[in-house]
Amino acid sequence: MWGLAWRNVWRHKTRSFVAGGAVAVAVVFTLVFFGFVTATMNGMVEVLTSESGHLQITHAQAKEAQDFDARLIRNAAEVEMALLKELRGVRLRRLLEVPALISGETRARGAMVVGMEQDEALGERFAREYVAAGRLPAPGSWDEIALGQALAKALQVELGDPVYVFAPGTDGWGAAAYTLVGLLDFPQTSHEIQAAYLSLEGAQELAAPGAVTRLQVHLAAERGAPTDALVEETKARATALLGEEVLVETWREASPDTAALLDMMDPVMTVFSFFIFVLAGLMVVNTIYLSLVERIREFGVILAVGADRWRVMRMVVAESLTLVLAGTAVGLLAGGLLIASWADGFRMPGFDEVMAEYGLPLVLYPSVTPVQVAVTVTFAIFTALAAALWPAWVAGRLQPVEAMRHAA
Amino acid sequence: MKPILRAVRLTKVYENEGVRTPALQGVDLEIVPGEFTAIAGPSGSGKSTLLHLLGCLDKPTAGETWLGERRTDQLDDVSRAHLRLREIGFVFQAYNLIPVLTALENAAFVLELQGVPREERNAKAMAALEALGIAELAHRRPNQLSGGQQQRVAVARALAAQPRVVLADEPTANLDSKAGLSLIELMKKLNEERGITFLFSTHDPRLLEHVKRIIRLEDGRVVADERVGAA
Repeated sequence: MWGLAWRNVWRHKTRSFVAGGAVAVAVVFTLVFFGFVTATMNGMVEVLTSESGHLQITHAQAKEAQDFDARLIRNAAEVEMALLKELRGVRLRRLLEVPALISGETRARGAMVVGMEQDEALGERFAREYVAAGRLPAPGSWDEIALGQALAKALQVELGDPVYVFAPGTDGWGAAAYTLVGLLDFPQTSHEIQAAYLSLEGAQELAAPGAVTRLQVHLAAERGAPTDALVEETKARATALLGEEVLVETWREASPDTAALLDMMDPVMTVFSFFIFVLAGLMVVNTIYLSLVERIREFGVILAVGADRWRVMRMVVAESLTLVLAGTAVGLLAGGLLIASWADGFRMPGFDEVMAEYGLPLVLYPSVTPVQVAVTVTFAIFTALAAALWPAWVAGRLQPVEAMRHAA
Repeated sequence: MKPILRAVRLTKVYENEGVRTPALQGVDLEIVPGEFTAIAGPSGSGKSTLLHLLGCLDKPTAGETWLGERRTDQLDDVSRAHLRLREIGFVFQAYNLIPVLTALENAAFVLELQGVPREERNAKAMAALEALGIAELAHRRPNQLSGGQQQRVAVARALAAQPRVVLADEPTANLDSKAGLSLIELMKKLNEERGITFLFSTHDPRLLEHVKRIIRLEDGRVVADERVGAA
């Protein structure tokens, strides 16, 4: 039956090429679409987690607290040591976020002064991503500051100029003068206009000696990004270790909007691909139905010599499956090669600003999972079956004598 | 000898947009195994309709059809398809081979429908092609064969599954006289050597010289039933 179906499919080469080609294009498009959306999602997660960590640890009442003091984790060193001991291989970024008034010689602005300390790899990455000029404050320095470019512009200060920070009502000095050593370029202007970075020690001396407001835990996986399961498992261990005085959140909990957006992408991708296959399926219906109409007499003979209607219907379905699976095979090959050709990354020329603005990585690494390939093939098979439904029903209702009298 | 095919008061009326056209009007007929019988008559006399009804391709308006001991006019579509597949061989006027299959594959087609394994059905189909003298054409497609050769392949398709009876509807109508005569002689030879029962329709009087029995139809009625020749 399959051999006959294969030969019948190629009776009208042009028509079959068009229909099979439509299926192949649908498969290629679906694979590339899956590949790019997955790459974008992975990139968004990577950008997000590189900025905020896979886990964030804050004071248990930090979200509700109005006062700066109430958001402090005062035993930061103990917490850090416990984490590093229990969660081997993780990297930490320690942050002390201080709301402050910041000024140059002539102008002042409200800003969030962030004292930051991190391991070398995280620091290098942060500098590579965001330092536009100069450098970050040296670890342990008390008199160096880096500002967002927009904030520096607003304050009318340049590298080497003095910058003054006022954080009244805190446990530290409450005010200090710094030298501007770096300008930072963040994708989000709203962040850049408020961003001021000190060393952690510098910020602690300014506002809260020995304390932090946030600890970021960065996980590493053997391959690719850490799985959600690993993140959840680490959260459970950290929560058990640190008790109820702190709040441990995964990046999904800390950024629920982004997590919801990412969770929505799989069903959106699936529905979108489904409609692409519906369009390809219309071409297949056309091909199979025309093929049937042109061969009514032949089907009449096949019925006459003893095939029952189910057999004839199966023959029609087999032709549809043959055509679609041939197109699918070509599409998988072409789509696979295309995605493989982007294995070293795909950078859209001229779109760096746009990508950065939306929190997307500049270089995407498209890839498809076995599940996505399976979904694609399932759609193709569904397309073949759905496209064969109407022609098969027509073929199954043929009466042999009438069909043999049919004039094509 | 018990009949292999039987028609009892067989009537068929076609209706089209309220117009009733009687094709057969109370035909009684018996065919016994081993007969080589022609149904003769002018166009519109009901020859094809009679073959279609006896071959379980269509249902009568009234009357009975029998295949051996089994009444067939009341069977459902599936049962009639099963009988056609297992017990009846068909040859049609326009050859009706499947163009994408070779002669061998066409000859083996009914066996494939029966679910016979590939090697066995190819062997049987090749034997049928040999019996019809066209084994050397086994791997040609229909469009590479003459009309006479195509009709021999059609006969081979009908014979390969070793049916109880072969029904042929104007098998020589599309052939020139020489090829038509050659085909009838071949069918007669198979009838005589293997005892295969043939019932075919024709309106060519020259072919009737080669049959053992002629049933003449006119206006849907049997007007003569003659046993002739070596019978």
